[in-house]
Amino acid sequence: MKKFWRCHVCNDIHYGVNPPETCPTCLVKKAYVEISSEEAKKISGHSEITLDKVDFRKAIEKFSEGNQFQVNPDQEKVETLLEGIFNCEKNHGMKYCPCRLITKNFEDDLKLVCPCNFRIHETYKDKEDGECWCGLFIRRQ
Amino acid sequence: MFHGRECPHCIAMMPHVDRLEKETGVEIERLEVWHNEKNADLMRSYREIIGPKCGGQLRTPTFMNTETNDILCGEVKYKELEEWATK
Repeated sequence: MKKFWRCHVCNDIHYGVNPPETCPTCLVKKAYVEISSEEAKKISGHSEITLDKVDFRKAIEKFSEGNQFQVNPDQEKVETLLEGIFNCEKNHGMKYCPCRLITKNFEDDLKLVCPCNFRIHETYKDKEDGECWCGLFIRRQ
Repeated sequence: MFHGRECPHCIAMMPHVDRLEKETGVEIERLEVWHNEKNADLMRSYREIIGPKCGGQLRTPTFMNTETNDILCGEVKYKELEEWATK
């Protein structure tokens, strides 16, 4: 079961079954202690951090760097998808894939948050011209 | 047809759907699911029928024959849509 962990040195928050061995921010080893979701919410909600379409585009470009996939070079398609992703966040609370409908089961729907784990999907896995379901990411040529 | 306004696969299928209706007389009801909660709930109500044909998910576009529960999932060529719709 996943839990919240806080670095006791720099207050980094981690959500996972186990804490990181080394804090990625302050690089201190064995620095994490388990905390409640309420504490995690307070710490992460302390700073108002917005991510607009330009920021998100930069984030997914960075995410793709050094990976076997890339953001689709079809700009028109990417613009349409980003519009949908941000409408999903505005209307439904998360950046859900605009090409799959949420079930309203939060745990199931986390699998639809962009970027999803498309590398295991049949539209990408073992395919030379693989892409995620919506086509935002394609296998790097 | 369940579709999403900002789903590129759905956008790509629309001219095929228009052509299908014109050439075969088959009528396809277009139900947008990301901006219309009633349509979304309707699609969710068919989850057990749609899921097995669409990777376990409610993918768009999904074409559904409500008389036979026959499903066609995703972006396909016109010929495939026509064969599905007229078989």
